[in-house]
Order: sequence, then structure tokens, then C-alpha cells
Amino acid sequence: MSTARVITKASPSAAAAATPGPAGPSLPPAAGPVVVVPPRRLSPTARPSGGRWALLAMQVRCELVSNLRVPEFLIGVVAIPVMLFAMFGPPNARWSLPDGTLVSTMMMPGFGAFGLVSLVIFAFGVDIANERGKGWLRLMRATPAPGWAYFGGKLVTSLALAALTLLALFVVAALIAQVRLPLERWLAIFGVLLLGGMSLAPLGFTLGFLARPRAASTIGNLVFLPLSFASGFFFPLNQLPEFLRALAPYLPTYHYGQLVWRVTASPASVEAYTGIALGPVWVSLAWLAGTFVLFGALAVWGYRRQRSREQT
Amino acid sequence: MVIEMRGVTKRYGDVQALAGIDLDVEPGEVVAVLGPNGAGKTTAIAVMLGLTRPSSGQVRCFGGDPARYEARSRVGVMLQESGVPSSLKVAEVVGLFQRYYPYTLPLDEILERADLVEKRDKLVSTLSGGQRQRLYFALAIAGDPDLVFLDEPTVALDVSARRSFWQQVEGFAALGKTVLFSTHYLDEADAIAQRVVVVDRGRVIAEGSPRDIKRLVADTTVRFAADVALERVAAMPEVQRAVREEGFVVVTTNEPEALLRRLFADGVALRDLRVSDADLEAAFVHLTNGQGLTSVAHTAAGGAAAATKGVSA
Repeated sequence: MSTARVITKASPSAAAAATPGPAGPSLPPAAGPVVVVPPRRLSPTARPSGGRWALLAMQVRCELVSNLRVPEFLIGVVAIPVMLFAMFGPPNARWSLPDGTLVSTMMMPGFGAFGLVSLVIFAFGVDIANERGKGWLRLMRATPAPGWAYFGGKLVTSLALAALTLLALFVVAALIAQVRLPLERWLAIFGVLLLGGMSLAPLGFTLGFLARPRAASTIGNLVFLPLSFASGFFFPLNQLPEFLRALAPYLPTYHYGQLVWRVTASPASVEAYTGIALGPVWVSLAWLAGTFVLFGALAVWGYRRQRSREQT
Repeated sequence: MVIEMRGVTKRYGDVQALAGIDLDVEPGEVVAVLGPNGAGKTTAIAVMLGLTRPSSGQVRCFGGDPARYEARSRVGVMLQESGVPSSLKVAEVVGLFQRYYPYTLPLDEILERADLVEKRDKLVSTLSGGQRQRLYFALAIAGDPDLVFLDEPTVALDVSARRSFWQQVEGFAALGKTVLFSTHYLDEADAIAQRVVVVDRGRVIAEGSPRDIKRLVADTTVRFAADVALERVAAMPEVQRAVREEGFVVVTTNEPEALLRRLFADGVALRDLRVSDADLEAAFVHLTNGQGLTSVAHTAAGGAAAATKGVSA
């Protein structure tokens, strides 16, 4: 009389196996290894979606516009380093170092490095943690989209925002802080700041996947402000307390700064400005490479842990 | 077979979320997974999607691992609580998801199917709850999937928003697509699904057409006013469940004639007697031993507001 069935707790699987489906075409019973895969059933209006480059372009476009529509984010990440430099840079254009380099010229890459570290921490770290917390990443993961699309979108967007920050900083520096450099120095500073900043990107990814979403912003501030301060991005290291100066060479961001200053002025000027003699270039490079590898591994571990832990 | 689950269990620490689920879904079916909160519906869907690995048992989606590309590119999904980046516009988010899949429907068609044409250039942050659910639905169908999972899609929607939402789902199912949704709104399962799978405490406890499920458990609701102790009615052998509701005694039973004979024979004076078909909610309460109702389900079906407080026979 009734085709419904209540499955007793004793034999759930026996009951399930006994019932044919109530609707649809009668497929052969799925006994044994025979697997019947229903054919793809595209709608008449369906069309191919455009491939991986279209995907990456769209991902970047979405990342960019969603950042540009949040003025707080742009101000925090792009405008603050430029504004801080505009306040502290010009008064220091009065002094110059032994080879004639202005102190304001040395301060400019410091604030650039500060801006890029904050970009890496906030655009990667805090952003990812938030999107993870809201379940957006989980929904993305249920689609066939490859993982690189998400990271690629973030990376390209961060590069664009970083370039924007640096260009604004350079313009301000040239206009009001009397920074005059030959073109190749401008380019070298730009390139080293950008590459060095991206080598610190795994710091952000690690934060994004390991921090609790609500704590990410606080942790981000706790990490990047002391790092920037202790690496001499705001004030020359020789004006910092002794213990910070002793600690600085063990921070990846310190070596980031050393690499940028190295291409800004002569070694003598760098030493005069920072108060610490420049070490060998390979030490600084090794520090950034090591940071990239170590935190890259941590980020991958955090990403995997996150995936295997999801349980809601 | 679109989905096959065999003896799937999932344990999170001390919590047995799934305790051995067997489920087959065939192409073109519209299946409701019905159960109270915490029954394991969401976990079951996460396993079918390959987002969560089962502790034991087997799950196949389109003949293989649900996490592989071939399956993912044929599946669309609405999860619970997926925050869309709120500073994107509707057309941008949908455009993004269109490119996540190898095949896609035209943007205009997606927006039309999700009733979002007018919201096309609105920021996600300005959408109402119902519009946001429709956006998630748009994301779910962006890849022209053969199978759509909807995990409690109408939670927190008002009655009219739910009705229009299900119209859109039915429109998509009419293309020959397979739809599997979870709900604890019994009237939804009744109205939309061809087949209902009742899940409780990580098991499938019943399965069949909405009509069959109803018939299986309790045909009839008998409602009357009388000066009689509820316990006395509940103790009668014909009674599956008895509750007092706004001064009436409401009884679910398979044997209304025998019950009424007994009541008259016992000399219970009935007033305002009404006998009607039981709704699916009554069936559900019975199947889950009266523990299945949530406050949300009450508003859904309107009636039996006293169900959880009532005496269960």
C-alpha cells in the first residue's frame, strides 16, 4: 500500500539496497564494479566560459574593485605611508649625509618598505582571514576553480596596489622632500621594494590561514608595527634603544630595509644614516629567501590544515 | 547514479555527525533531506560535495570522488553562511563564478533565473536577506550544473520570499537538473520534492514520496475540545501523539474511527470535533520521536505550536 519505508536501526544498508529509485529511467542496479555515470546535460544556452586567463583577469578585477570601493582600506594601506612620509620627510631635507644624499632621500624607502609590509600583512593576511571566516573560501572551494586563481588574484592585486603606493610616495618625495635621484636609482628602489615586499607575502598568507578571523587584524597590527619600527623604517636605527638595535639584524624586515638602502645611496651614507655598517648583500638576500621558504611552508601547512579541519 | 553513499559515517571528536548513511540519487530527481537541527544534513551535503571526507564508508558523485574536477564542474552549491565580498556588485560576483566553471550560462539568463535582473548593478552589501539567498542561488547555477545542492536555502526568509525562491528552483529543475536540498521546513519538502529522505541523528530513518511518508506515520489529525486529561488520551493505543493546543486536544493517529469509538465509549464529551489529513510536520515529529521540531519549523507550518511541549505517546 505504501512505498515509503522506515529504516530500522538494525539494518540500514540492507533496506537501502533493496529499493529501486522512485523516478527516472530504470538504470541497471549498481551491483558490482559497474559505475553508471549520467552524461553531462548542458542547457541549450550554455557556452564555454573562457579559460584560465579570463578567470584570472576576472579574479583580479573583482579584487581590485572591491578594494578600491573601500576607502578605509585604501587610506590605511596606500595613503598612510605616503602621508607619514609627507609629515616627516620634508623637515629632514635640510640635512645631508657625507656623500651629499639628503636624509629625506634615505627616509623615503623606509616609508615605502613600511607601506609594503603593511600591504602584505593586511591585503593578504587580514583579508584572507576575513574571507575564510565568512565562509567565502569554503564556497569557492566547492567550485572547480583552481586554488591558484584565488592566490593569483590576491598577488596581482597587491602588486598593483604596491606600485600605486610607491608611485605616490615617489611623487610626494620629489615634490616636497627635495628627493633628487638618477632614473636608475628610482627604478632600483622601486624594484627592490616591490620584490622584497612580495618575498614577505608568505607572512601575510600565514597570518591569513593560522589566525582566528576576528583576531587577524589585531595580530596584524601587533606584528607589522613593531617590525617596521625595529627595522628602522620610521626612524634611523641609531636613534632606537640599544636592545632594538641589537635585535634588528634578526628581523627579515631589517634585511629588506638594508637591501633597499643599499641601492639608494653609497655604503658610507647607509652606515651614517642607519648607524650600522652594511653587511654582505648575500646575508640579506638569504634572510628574505629563508623567510619566504619558511613562512611559505607554514602558510601551505595552514592552508591544508584549514581544509582538513572544515567541519560545519 | 548521480550520488551514491554507502555506509557513510563522520565523527568529529566525540560527536557522531553521520552514523551510516546510505543514499542514492538519480538524474533529474528533486530530493529533500529533512531533519531537525543537528541531524547531520549539512555534514551529509559536505561529504557529497567532497568538502569533508567521511570517517568511513563510500561516497561517489558522478561515478567517482566528489572532490575531483570532473565532479566539481558539474555541481553547483548553496552553502549556509557564505559571506560574499560585500563591496562587489551582483553582476561581478556572478561573473566571477561563471569563470570558475568550464561551461556557463549567459549572465542575463542567470540573473533572470535568480530574479536578480534589477539588482544587477547593486552592491552585495545593499541586498536584503532574500535577495542575498537568490544571489547564492545564482552562484550555484552559474556553471550550468547537472546537480545543485541547496543547504537549508530558505532559513530566515519570510513566506513570500520562500515561495518565489522555490519557483526559481523549480524552474531550474525543469531543465532536467538534479536538485538535492536540505530543510527543516516540512511544507517545503512536501511541495517541492519528489522524494523525501528523513535524517535523524546521522541516519536515514525514512525515505519515500512526501505522500508516502505522511501515510506511513500518521494519516489523520483529530482535533476536539473536551474536559479530559491529556494523559488519558495519550495513553489510548490508537494515539501516536497528543498535545493540547489553544484549548483543543490535537491527536495524530492512524485509526481515527477506532479512536473516536473509544472516546465515545469512555464517555468523553467532545465538542468542535474536526478530523483532517495530517501534514508532513506531524509525520516528521513522529519519525524523530517528537524531538525534531525547532521554533523555525513552527512558523513554517503555522499549526502545531505546542508540539515539543506536548505529551508524546
